Amino acid sequence: MAGIRVVKSRDEFEGEIFESLSIIQGSDLPAHAASVEFEEIGKSRKRVDGVQRVTGRATYTHDVALPGMLHARVLRSPYPRARVRAIDTKKAEALPGVRGVLHRFNSPKAAFRGEETIFREEVRFIGDEVAAVAADDADTAARALGLIEVEYELLPHVTDLEEAITDGAPKLEDGGNVFDAGSLKRGEPRQAFKSADAVVEGTYRTSTQLHNSLESHGAVAQWDGENLTVWESTQHVFGVREGIRAALLLPLSRIRVICDYMGGGFGSKGGVGKYSIIASLFAKQLGRPVRCVLTRHEENLAAGNRSATLQKVKLAGKDGRITAVDHTSWSNAGQGRWVANPTGPTNTLYDFANLTTKSYRVVTNAGSLSAFRAPGYVEGTFALEQAIDELAERMGVDPLTLRRRHAASQKDPRTTKTYSLKRLLECYTIGAREIGWTKRRAGGTRGSAPHRRRGIGMATQIWGGGGGPPAYATVHFNSDGTVILRAGTQDIGTGTRTVLAQICSEELGVECDRISVRIGDTEGPYGPISAGSLTLASVGPAVRLAARDAREQFLGAAAGVLEIRKTELRMERGHIVSKGARTPISEVSKKLENNTVIGKGSRWPNPESLAIKTFGAHFAQVEVDTLTGEIVVEKVVAVHDIGRIVNPMTAASQVQGGVIQALGFALSEERVVDRSLGRVMNADLEWYKIPTVLDVPEIVVRFTDRPDRRANNLGAKGLGEPPIIPTAAAVANAVANATGVRLRHAPMTPARVLEALAVVR
Amino acid sequence: MLDTIGEMPPFRGPEAVDIFLTVNGQGATAHLPPHRSLLELLRGPLGLTGTKLVCNAGNCGACTVLVEGRPVYSCITLAVACEGKRVETIEGISKDGELHPVQEAFIDHDAYQCGFCTPGQVMSIVALLRAKGGAPTEDEMRRAVTGNLCRCGAYVNIVKAGMSAARRKK
Amino acid sequence: MSLFSYAKPRALGEALRLLKNGTVALAGGTDLVGLIRSGLARPNALVDLTGIDGLRGWSREKGKGLRIGALTSLSELETSPQLRKLAPMIAESLRDAATPQLRNMGTVGGNLLQRNRCWYFRDEAVPCWLKGGTRCFAAEGENRYHAIIGAAECVMVSPSDLAPALIAYDAEIELASSIGRRTVKLGMFFITPSGRQRREHAIKKGELITSVRIPESALERRGTFLKAMDRKAWSFALVSVAAAARIKDGKAHDVRVVLGGVAPSPWWVPAAHKLLEGSALDDNSCLAAADVILGGAQPLRDNGYKVTLARELIRRALRSLVA
Repeated sequence: MAGIRVVKSRDEFEGEIFESLSIIQGSDLPAHAASVEFEEIGKSRKRVDGVQRVTGRATYTHDVALPGMLHARVLRSPYPRARVRAIDTKKAEALPGVRGVLHRFNSPKAAFRGEETIFREEVRFIGDEVAAVAADDADTAARALGLIEVEYELLPHVTDLEEAITDGAPKLEDGGNVFDAGSLKRGEPRQAFKSADAVVEGTYRTSTQLHNSLESHGAVAQWDGENLTVWESTQHVFGVREGIRAALLLPLSRIRVICDYMGGGFGSKGGVGKYSIIASLFAKQLGRPVRCVLTRHEENLAAGNRSATLQKVKLAGKDGRITAVDHTSWSNAGQGRWVANPTGPTNTLYDFANLTTKSYRVVTNAGSLSAFRAPGYVEGTFALEQAIDELAERMGVDPLTLRRRHAASQKDPRTTKTYSLKRLLECYTIGAREIGWTKRRAGGTRGSAPHRRRGIGMATQIWGGGGGPPAYATVHFNSDGTVILRAGTQDIGTGTRTVLAQICSEELGVECDRISVRIGDTEGPYGPISAGSLTLASVGPAVRLAARDAREQFLGAAAGVLEIRKTELRMERGHIVSKGARTPISEVSKKLENNTVIGKGSRWPNPESLAIKTFGAHFAQVEVDTLTGEIVVEKVVAVHDIGRIVNPMTAASQVQGGVIQALGFALSEERVVDRSLGRVMNADLEWYKIPTVLDVPEIVVRFTDRPDRRANNLGAKGLGEPPIIPTAAAVANAVANATGVRLRHAPMTPARVLEALAVVR
Repeated sequence: MLDTIGEMPPFRGPEAVDIFLTVNGQGATAHLPPHRSLLELLRGPLGLTGTKLVCNAGNCGACTVLVEGRPVYSCITLAVACEGKRVETIEGISKDGELHPVQEAFIDHDAYQCGFCTPGQVMSIVALLRAKGGAPTEDEMRRAVTGNLCRCGAYVNIVKAGMSAARRKK
Repeated sequence: MSLFSYAKPRALGEALRLLKNGTVALAGGTDLVGLIRSGLARPNALVDLTGIDGLRGWSREKGKGLRIGALTSLSELETSPQLRKLAPMIAESLRDAATPQLRNMGTVGGNLLQRNRCWYFRDEAVPCWLKGGTRCFAAEGENRYHAIIGAAECVMVSPSDLAPALIAYDAEIELASSIGRRTVKLGMFFITPSGRQRREHAIKKGELITSVRIPESALERRGTFLKAMDRKAWSFALVSVAAAARIKDGKAHDVRVVLGGVAPSPWWVPAAHKLLEGSALDDNSCLAAADVILGGAQPLRDNGYKVTLARELIRRALRSLVA
């Protein structure tokens, strides 16, 4: 085809450059001006898959039931660190209904994330995979697990972050337990600290947060001859396919991965899991489909988490400005090979002239981290934004005013690139108005009773969200004028099908209800992982171009059929419109066969000279019972600057959800591990406390809603992560305003509030 | 002395036993051992996968169904204990292909994100609206779904949808 | 999970005869099913009581107090407007107990017989003292939710919200077995596990709770139930307080203050009740009583906050009786 080019793009995130190649053709479209009135874009549209979701007909991986399907369960290490010496499976195999057992001594090699096998010799946390059983039903498989005899050689362990960084801790790797994970120095922080008027210094802690996606991780695998189909609850069907390829060494053409609906991921479902490999191996061996899904308990041991952090933040101020910053962070990565960076916001959010930041990855015998909605940024913002409030108070400057002084810059301080669009100051203005910032008093105000104190606080958010290539889409016309839009992305609950349908509809001139969106299948065009707030900004522009391509082709065909020049035709609401005539597109399409018009679109690279970021600010009002330590969050105002809003209703849902999940992190969610046993004591939904409906405050959602026209052809950016980032810090600042006490450990439970209040009394 | 009238009922099981019950208005039969849950019965032999398994411990509400009209957690309800009872699931509340007002309202108000808790939320609200003659207060609506966790945090819209369905129903 | 057979008798007598060694009574199942799944209960047969009609519902005979059948669902007690008038603390204690679904399933008898929620106890892999092991893991381990007072070998806490409320009404329970019936003060029914008593309830093999009775005199008391949680719903109490008293001319009589979530069994101190007899329940006397109630507190590493919390909730609950 004419005009196909390959372009290399370089996208920066957290100082790392990600390079990718993408195939583009023709030309990109310019983003619409802010003033354009759309038919679909910018309109609150109900979800196109709403009926499936409310009737229980939506098929999640958990719901896939195939004829003859077996059920696999995983035996997990009961010890935080041990060597697997021997495994005896005779009794398990003798149990009626058991079809197979896999473990390190009999399993085929299957590489997994840099390791040779999915069953390690040295198991490194409670929950690490030791063996697996496939049986006629899950109940039998579970019983069989109890009959497997394993000989373990116990090894010294450490699960706690602060214990792991001490000299006396068992060394888990040759290089010890602590690894550099990035640092940054800007300006002359040492001198700036020396000449400061005011210095504040604090140690902050954030506890381990568990994703607890309601649908646990899991997969169903089925072989048909040499072809493998895997249904997996995943944020990245193509990533799962690649993981399976690497493990089983199959050609990609023989692997198909499907994720129709998925019950939440929040970052934890980024790639293939051991359960997918186990299901695939069993299915091959036993010649039957195999389902392997995690129990809630397993989910909370072995499916990832937001690392606990220990952070030290020191700020210096002079003449009403922040003059120096020192931020060091240690993160409990468990057995993870990477770590999120809590100093990310410190490095990029404000125009700090002088700073030093350091981030360390700490390995322990606990479940590995995985990305959790704005990994690192939630934790880092909790510390940084509290320190700024503390400095503001010390200097006698209004905390919002202090931030304004450092938030106006239109240049990314890290790369010095100009922002494609930044309207953070406007977020401040909107938020301050909505919360009534002028009513904020130093020292807080009296609440609904003498022992209840009310306070207001705020915090700022920065995140990526610009998306980028590669991402592709196709748009097919059927002979009845209906349309099939395909993209290899997946809907993790954000409403992807709906917003893609809106974008397609807008460009194509065909109503949403005539467009079927097919996603979550590696048989479709490649789509990136649905994470990092990049789905809409990556896939959306490709969809728009695919729709344009389909429209142009269709109009070309229509010109022939109607015998009118193509330049005189346009498509509008399912009609071909020419001077004075409206012809339903089915009039034309019925003369063509199915799928003879196939539009293709790809995501063009981002402008290299610009930094594309999202911004926002949250304002919180709290009431604190100073005698019981109860924090009641009364109101959260969430203002975000994420470019154009494609669907205000689903966008608002995202923000509410982010705020609520953040309130869990702020107030009640905390993995509890018994250090000597190495056991997670609350790997359940009883003592691991996610917010209930009664924990939800009034949430006011506002957007600046200005298209970021230099970012991509939609002017839209991502929204998944931004709303979870600043809430906890805003609440903590409000609590400090209310009570005069700073809570430096999230979650801010009644116990911690009372403890902090007791110190001042 | 205590009453000793009545025949000694036989213990059934522990092997699979026949269980007869009414599911969504129709008689249903299953053959399951007594330790299996109502949820397993629904999702397995009956193929009603709209009801979800999340915690399997009565801690989340994704498995909420109505037994004799009242919302319960099917994951910790023994199937055998539902012998002869009326069970209603998400698959049973829309009639003749028409959505229940609560389902409609969930769509209108975007009262879900991933949708995994949705069937349970809907069942709790359906039960509330049936139990309340008049319109419930917003507090009653909230309390009706305190036993249904939503990890995506769709609560604001769930309550809105419930209140809107209550108005619609009148 | 053990396999078991199942029977559903229609009459109490049948049920009692079926309750032999290895059989366990099933009512709402909200606790039992979990205990069986995690291997903490290993019955070979379940006797489902829910087919017995006579144990459901509540009634009041003038002069004879209130009688609540053991199989009455918690939601029925919570939502009955008449009962709310008679004994308001019952509904108050149930309002934040568990969830609507669990209150629909759960029964009064089952609530009183529920086992503790200690995460070491509930973890099948931890051989804790209460399960026959040699030590209490919580005492030296993760104990933010554990006992601050009254514990011996085991530092779990009494989980029921209903129990403190009923005890503050001087409730008695009736028990039946195949050899007869007996009545026990509910306050005496709970055991602090210690020595050879590795259990929470003074129930004998083959016994069932058939009803709860509240004496007429106790119905004259005002009552307040307060519960502190670490989220706004669906949590076992960090601390709960049931306070009741007969108020006459602004003075309190027959005062009862019973705490949940602080000790292995519902916690009260008779000396505090005496101290408050005839008191106007001003701040100082409430706090003095709180200090008596919490006098023996020995918080563990992570639960010192509960002492502060309990003291304040006691004060508030008592104050509200005269507010």
